[in-house]
Amino acid sequence: MAILLEGRKVSRNFGGLAALLNVNFQVRSGEIVGLIGPNGAGKTTLFRCITGVHPPTFGRILFKGEDISKLMPHHICVMGITNTHQVVKPFPEMTVLDNVRVGAFFGKGWVRGEVKDATQEALRVLEFTGLTSKANFLARNLTLPDRKRLEVARALATRPELLLLDEVVAGLNPTEVDRMIRLIQQLRESGITIFMVEHVMRAVLSVSDRLIVLNFGEKIAEGPPDEVARNPQVIEAYLGKNYASGKSHYA
Amino acid sequence: MRVKEMSRSWKLWVGGPVLAFLVLIPFLELQGGYLQTLGFLTFLYITMSTAWNILGGYAGQTSFGHATFYGLGAYTTCILTLRGIPALLTIPVAGMIASLYGLLWGYPCLRLRGQYFAIATIGVGEATRLLMLNLDDLIKNNSLLKGFLQKGVLTGGATGLMLPTPPDIQAYATAFYYGVMGLMFFALFVSWRVKNGKFGLGLFAINMDMDAAETVGVNTTRYKILALMLSAFLVGISGSIYAQYVFYIDPQTVFGFPMSIAMVLMPIIGGIGTLIGPVLGAVFYIVVQDRILTANLNLGLIKLSLSSLHLLVYGGLLVLIILFEPKGLLGVHHRFNIWWNKRKRRSLAATEKA
Repeated sequence: MAILLEGRKVSRNFGGLAALLNVNFQVRSGEIVGLIGPNGAGKTTLFRCITGVHPPTFGRILFKGEDISKLMPHHICVMGITNTHQVVKPFPEMTVLDNVRVGAFFGKGWVRGEVKDATQEALRVLEFTGLTSKANFLARNLTLPDRKRLEVARALATRPELLLLDEVVAGLNPTEVDRMIRLIQQLRESGITIFMVEHVMRAVLSVSDRLIVLNFGEKIAEGPPDEVARNPQVIEAYLGKNYASGKSHYA
Repeated sequence: MRVKEMSRSWKLWVGGPVLAFLVLIPFLELQGGYLQTLGFLTFLYITMSTAWNILGGYAGQTSFGHATFYGLGAYTTCILTLRGIPALLTIPVAGMIASLYGLLWGYPCLRLRGQYFAIATIGVGEATRLLMLNLDDLIKNNSLLKGFLQKGVLTGGATGLMLPTPPDIQAYATAFYYGVMGLMFFALFVSWRVKNGKFGLGLFAINMDMDAAETVGVNTTRYKILALMLSAFLVGISGSIYAQYVFYIDPQTVFGFPMSIAMVLMPIIGGIGTLIGPVLGAVFYIVVQDRILTANLNLGLIKLSLSSLHLLVYGGLLVLIILFEPKGLLGVHHRFNIWWNKRKRRSLAATEKA
């Protein structure tokens, strides 16, 4: 499989704090890659580096071989990378349909936008994400699960090749988690590559082909989910040194 | 569906005669042309209010510096006309110069967000006014720029500039009445097109969440600047027409801060971010200003002129609107509709029961 996204020694500093340090990673087209790590590990920062919101301080990010580390977010979106936000950011006073239409209008390959076409595309995406019945609701009136879906729908409408999902499952109840997992699998089947940050292990272990683990801004492990889950370094990062070496009082 | 049809016919029944009346005003010669002048000003202010709304209402970038465009439009027309260029030709030039000036200060200022942008625009507005006030003195001794002076005057400093009056002033005023009415419809058309197209959707997205807009592909910087330039263009033309209508301009009136404030107030009073709101707001603004400027309060012993109080009225109104009805007059209308429908439904239910 061809490499779609590649990070070479990606580093990002906030003042004196190194939020990311020399992170190398690859995402191949058609994959679902999970990005995990304890709180503050730099997962969202890495996503922001990729989308151009916080460009990397050092290092390069290549999308289909092209350096995108210095481009503006909207430019990166038009190239085919879109993300969803960890804290959902709908356009609150717009209808659900209009929210998605923004994505359809401004995303990839819409230099000349016809209102009619964008609306059609938006309706198609709403159908796919199961929001059709709420198309005319104002986004601020949606429930959290629906807002998360709207995030995905709006991102999808930009027709990304690579979709970055930042904790789309967090805060959902078990049934909703299953629905979201099914949606993610459908996305992959439709040919979209997915790179996702997730804390809900059930979700990330069940859909990912490969996991990347960050801790304190550095990559500590990478590989298939079951292998990573047994990696002592990963267990240590999540549960502490004692647990990893089997000396825990709680084990 | 039926309700929608009814409201449409209602709009037709009211809108038709009002429009006919507005068209006929110059022929009726009511109150010695007073109504015509009032109409002219109303159309002009509707244009500006609508123009400001494109940036301030749709894109959510509150500008307190729009008087710069108004003044620049007025000055462009005066300066060019005094140098022998036909006045009508200067109108698009005025719009374009205002637009370019918008690009000039919009590019740095629009990097600021929210209230910081608003504060910066106040600065730009005042700086521009002071510059126009002192421009003649500044270039008088400059060998390169001296060529722009005509009889030692470019902007005329605090005295301003005067245009020659045409022989048939009545016909001239009537022509301008219709001209500015056309301009108003043009501005409304532009605003409508923007609101319902891709451009407007992008502006609304910027208004509601700039970061989210950026990540779904909206070039926020470019869109904000384009909105400012479009807005500036319309305001510049308004300024140009104003100058030709009154024949006299000075920095205090056309570049003054009250002018900027007026452009902020009108859409907010009427209903910010809507198509019709700025129109209502402008009509309200003009009517209140006109009534109050000529009113006197007689308290027996003390006689008070209310002319200086009109800003107080807007100020109070602004506080009320921000506290209770952020959507302005349109919001009040909407609330009334809801109340009315509820009442009708209740009385319908009561009759069914009986």
